[in-house]
Amino acid sequence: MSEETSENASQRILVLGLGNVLMGDDGFGPTVVTLLAAQYELPEGVSALDAGTPGFDLTPHVSGLASLIVVDTVKLDAPAGTLRLYRLPEIVAHVPVVRASPHEPALQEALLALQFAGQAPAEALLVGAVPELIDVGPGLSASLRAAVPDALREVLLELGRLGRPAVKRSAPLPANLWWEERVT
Amino acid sequence: MSPRITVDPITRIEGHLRIDVEVNGGAVQDSWSSGQMFRGIEIILQGRDPRDAWLFTQRFCGVCTTVHAITSVRAVENALNLEIPINAQYIRNLILCAHALHDHIVHFYQLSALDWVDVVSALKGDPASTAALAESLSPWPGNSRRQFEAVKDKLAGFVKAGQLGIFTNGYWGHPAMKLPPDVNLLAVSHYLQALDIQRKANQVVAILGGKTPNIQNLAVGGVANAINLDNESTLNMNKLFMIKDLLDEVATFVQQVYLIDVCAVGALYADWLKYGAGVTNYLAVPDLPLDTKGTQFDLPGGTIFNKDLGTAKAITSFQDPYFRDNVTECIAHSWYDGDWDKHPYEETTEPKYTDFNPAGKYSWVKSPRFQGKPMQVGPLAQVLVGFATGHEPTKRWATHALQTAGAVAKAQLSPAVLHGTLGRHLGRAVRAAVISELALQQWQRLAENIGKGDVAIFNPPTFPKGEVQGFGFHEAPRGTLSHWVVIDNGKIKNYQAVVPSTWNAGPRDEKGQKGPYEASLVGNPIADPAKPLEVLRTIHSFDPCLACAIHTLDVEGTELSKVNVFNSCDV
Repeated sequence: MSEETSENASQRILVLGLGNVLMGDDGFGPTVVTLLAAQYELPEGVSALDAGTPGFDLTPHVSGLASLIVVDTVKLDAPAGTLRLYRLPEIVAHVPVVRASPHEPALQEALLALQFAGQAPAEALLVGAVPELIDVGPGLSASLRAAVPDALREVLLELGRLGRPAVKRSAPLPANLWWEERVT
Repeated sequence: MSPRITVDPITRIEGHLRIDVEVNGGAVQDSWSSGQMFRGIEIILQGRDPRDAWLFTQRFCGVCTTVHAITSVRAVENALNLEIPINAQYIRNLILCAHALHDHIVHFYQLSALDWVDVVSALKGDPASTAALAESLSPWPGNSRRQFEAVKDKLAGFVKAGQLGIFTNGYWGHPAMKLPPDVNLLAVSHYLQALDIQRKANQVVAILGGKTPNIQNLAVGGVANAINLDNESTLNMNKLFMIKDLLDEVATFVQQVYLIDVCAVGALYADWLKYGAGVTNYLAVPDLPLDTKGTQFDLPGGTIFNKDLGTAKAITSFQDPYFRDNVTECIAHSWYDGDWDKHPYEETTEPKYTDFNPAGKYSWVKSPRFQGKPMQVGPLAQVLVGFATGHEPTKRWATHALQTAGAVAKAQLSPAVLHGTLGRHLGRAVRAAVISELALQQWQRLAENIGKGDVAIFNPPTFPKGEVQGFGFHEAPRGTLSHWVVIDNGKIKNYQAVVPSTWNAGPRDEKGQKGPYEASLVGNPIADPAKPLEVLRTIHSFDPCLACAIHTLDVEGTELSKVNVFNSCDV
């Protein structure tokens, strides 16, 4: 449960994986946070969430955080597998367009609405990966599979920078990447 | 030739809904609704274990996760003729209620109110008279003069800093914006309070589902919530009372704020009551089952034809052939190979893209039909069916809403005014009020049943040799959702989801009958073709969610579909 109140609620940090695991490389964010949770022990008040593609429904998860770390795919004119980092001002600088469906307001709009309400995180980092193929069917392309360790490292660096480092588990838990299981 | 406006994409991210309207004399004369992305995510399910289907279907759409999960287990249970323990029904029902309340609140305040509310005008509102107005409408304690002063200051600070943030791109000052400044201030204040309340509704889903989004507690045959009132790690007394407190708070907001705001805004736009009726055949399915088999329900379902409540015919069970045998999907104007009208069990998905041709094929969305007729689905459909079939809470809340709106509009309003754009908003608010009440009743039923010592949550499924087929339905926030599954020797052979936004957003059928979006736009006024706010009002009133109606595979070229750093919600 993401809304568990910790003793130090105002210092909560969330590592959020966004994307659709049924759509190839769009599953990058969920894959990275699932591996993070399996391989690392997160300190009190830090949680990892595979959130899928919730659009504006992100707001309850982001509300009241001290800091947000997002892993997602990004559209860029760069080779597949390239990672780019973005900070909060860059994420919200883009002007929202007219909204229609509940999916449209997404990360940026959730942050803007929470800024208006005074509940937005003070800091955010987006770790974005350029996808190779987004298509019906689960599983990452070779380029994005290769980018997973780098993205994980960026997340760990950020947690360290925030003074809340994750500790590698001596025995990793099994990573539940159920969507990658093949049809038998 | 009439000027044509293309709003493309009207949904920017997941959906890529494109709306074309021909405008003549300041009004829409003709219209086309087009889904711009191929759909076919169900093919992923072929060959898989039916017990796992719900994990996949809840990823069809990032917003409607729980609804696709629960509909999927219902479909498989239907194929196996498997009843589930009553606790499992109640727990699923509570999740569905909390999700629906969350969704309806977000739709009004965060996704569509700004079609009607001018945020900039709220700066001219007077906190004292706003508080007086609010107190005349509702006993809600969050309507104090101090609250409105704080909101006005906050808004003024934003504007002074030269940034409207989340409100940057609204049609502020548009000639079709007509609310007085005090009402705009009221709405902005409630926009902020709604953010808090929707979080509480979501918490109920998290407690019962184990996680949101994407709940973890389902199984074909029941739920996985072990019940032991004295055990900290199971569903216990403490968690049950947390759920009740949260539902109480959400219910108060829905009944005293959301419903009242929709009535007031609707009444102040009373000339809009005549626009947007479109298709007035309605379809809703019953939900919130009260027995293990699904033959008694807290929410009614059925059909109405030609806006005549006298035609109402109920859908009465999870097995009802009246629903099962009357649904088809047509591809006459959709980009699939062929020109057929088929039952979901028999459908195939063979994409064949040709250009946008308003006289021929022009959408990836198929056209679902019931007895060959287009049907409008959504909260309004359920409210009208409930009204027509004498569902007590629906009648009571609908009457209350019409009286509240009538008092503001200084007019007598009958249920006939509900056919239209504003009626869809009113219908949604009435449905939310009904559900807010029923959710607490479901909680009571669950608590009492557990109190009797019944802690059963799961009946194991067994899969027969050979082929079976089943359907499951759910009255989702956007309307009737159905999943159809064919199982062969315990593996999925075919799977189809007929989703609410497909019923509403679909193109014309082989007889040329328009779908609900298309029909509802005809006759809408257009004050400024460069800013077609009125088109958005009518489309938004349906609460479009195209992610599951269509999705992002781009078959036109090699370019990847819209993955945008700033819009990370991409299927």
